[in-house]
Amino acid sequence: MYEAFAVAIVVFLTVGGQELLGLTMLGRPIVVGPLIGLLLGDLPTGLTIGASLETIFMGIVNIGGASAAEPGLASALAVAFAINMHGGLGVALPLAIPLGIIGLQIKTLLYVAVVGPFASRFDTLAAEGNEKGIVRLHFGLWGLQWFLYALIPFFAMLVGSSATQAALKLIPAVIVHGLTVAGNVLPAVGMAMLMKILWDKNISVFYFLGFLIVAYFKIPLIAVAVMGVIIAILIAQRDFQIHQLQAKPAAASAVDHSGESKSQQEDDDFFG
Amino acid sequence: MSKITAKLSAEEKKMLRQTYWRSFTLYSAVTPAKQGASGFEYSMMPWINHFYKNAADKKDALVRHMAYFNTNLAMSPFIMGVTASMEKQNSEKADFNAESINAIKTSLMGPLAGIGDSIFWGVLRVIAGGIAISLAKSGNFLAPIIFLLIFNIPVQLVRWYGGQLGYTLGSSYISDLYEKGLINIMTKAASIVGLMMVGAMTSSMVKLSVKWNMVMGGKTILKTQDMLNQIFIGILPLGITLLCFWLLRKKNVSINWLILGTLVIAILLALVGIV
Repeated sequence: MYEAFAVAIVVFLTVGGQELLGLTMLGRPIVVGPLIGLLLGDLPTGLTIGASLETIFMGIVNIGGASAAEPGLASALAVAFAINMHGGLGVALPLAIPLGIIGLQIKTLLYVAVVGPFASRFDTLAAEGNEKGIVRLHFGLWGLQWFLYALIPFFAMLVGSSATQAALKLIPAVIVHGLTVAGNVLPAVGMAMLMKILWDKNISVFYFLGFLIVAYFKIPLIAVAVMGVIIAILIAQRDFQIHQLQAKPAAASAVDHSGESKSQQEDDDFFG
Repeated sequence: MSKITAKLSAEEKKMLRQTYWRSFTLYSAVTPAKQGASGFEYSMMPWINHFYKNAADKKDALVRHMAYFNTNLAMSPFIMGVTASMEKQNSEKADFNAESINAIKTSLMGPLAGIGDSIFWGVLRVIAGGIAISLAKSGNFLAPIIFLLIFNIPVQLVRWYGGQLGYTLGSSYISDLYEKGLINIMTKAASIVGLMMVGAMTSSMVKLSVKWNMVMGGKTILKTQDMLNQIFIGILPLGITLLCFWLLRKKNVSINWLILGTLVIAILLALVGIV
């Protein structure tokens, strides 16, 4: 019971904690492993296995919700089972990989199905000007999501390693797949909301330009941004000249404007 | 580095500190549809409350910052600083175009996410991990602590000074532009970059492909996704995003229904094996 509790708390505070504390890497195997080792009375094993799992999961980072596995839960359970069975990496490794994949699926499930639907609740609260409500929901959802997530290691420790693996196989693959698909499609709603803010008939073609160059030429976002800035500067320069012409009486000569506009255009460049 | 904040009032410095601490929680309630919107809102609250005394203006600002927000965490305080400087202008000047705030936010978050992810996740984390692993394998118990320090010290410095830099840069440039009557030109320019970024993000973040193929007599005669790709790459994600946009803008469908509908349809399509 103590062990189940300890592992659950570690998962809650590291994997969940890093979401609250600015993705500060608390949930990486190199941190979780030794911590579990310390609490279960075998720090050297925790440290060695944590280091090995860090090597294996090195390529796996959670960027924008897209990932291949959740290393924190995997490390916590793999280290705990290895210590209980007096085994080393040989015991931990075969457990860690499937646990990491399952951990990610459960994380996705919570992200899409539990927290996801609250996105519109946040909008309602904002429209009501209910700041306290927003703050409560902001932290409440964090607590709820990671409490639920921490239940997995808790029960996994109670029932043991073989039973855990058997139980996890029972989750219908089609549900997991459906939620993954939904998680990949849902950003469309966010994009639509941004478009609602930015959309203007005259400049809407640039949305399609951005889409096109990424879809066909696989250009990184940073390059798209630089291209966007260049286009924006060109258009701002033209608009600026029109602005100058309208502002001054027709008598003013065109030569004056181009000289005078230099320094002002530099201001445009920064925000372009 | 104290030069950055030399011209700021004590109140502004205090709010910058609050933003630094609050922005740690950017992704506490991250959702697929809006990512870190609630965290961004939480980080902006001190500014909103300071600049807007009128309840209606305050609500507008709260709604504004509940929009989709996603960037690298280390870069977020910089964007919050720029945003705060624009909110200040907006609160002081009656004819300031509030839409330019989200336009600039959106044009900044994509590129900064790209830079931040590659520097901090790609390079710094790997260096920190590499050093810590070798320490741990030689039995050094300090390995996890050293790992966290190598990663977090540079990140926290960028977060701390980024907010100050964003706010001061934003303040000087934006008030200057405003005085010259160029804010509308700037808004349009920012919206162009913003829209291009949203288009690019639609392509890289919204993902949907068809798995179902037409099979006749045990032979695949039509690979649906290949056929769709020949028509236009990314036609499905683009179509879905435009559909959501149309529903949102023309039909006034609430995002509640959009999210729920997407969820249900995705699961149903997966159940019957189409996607």
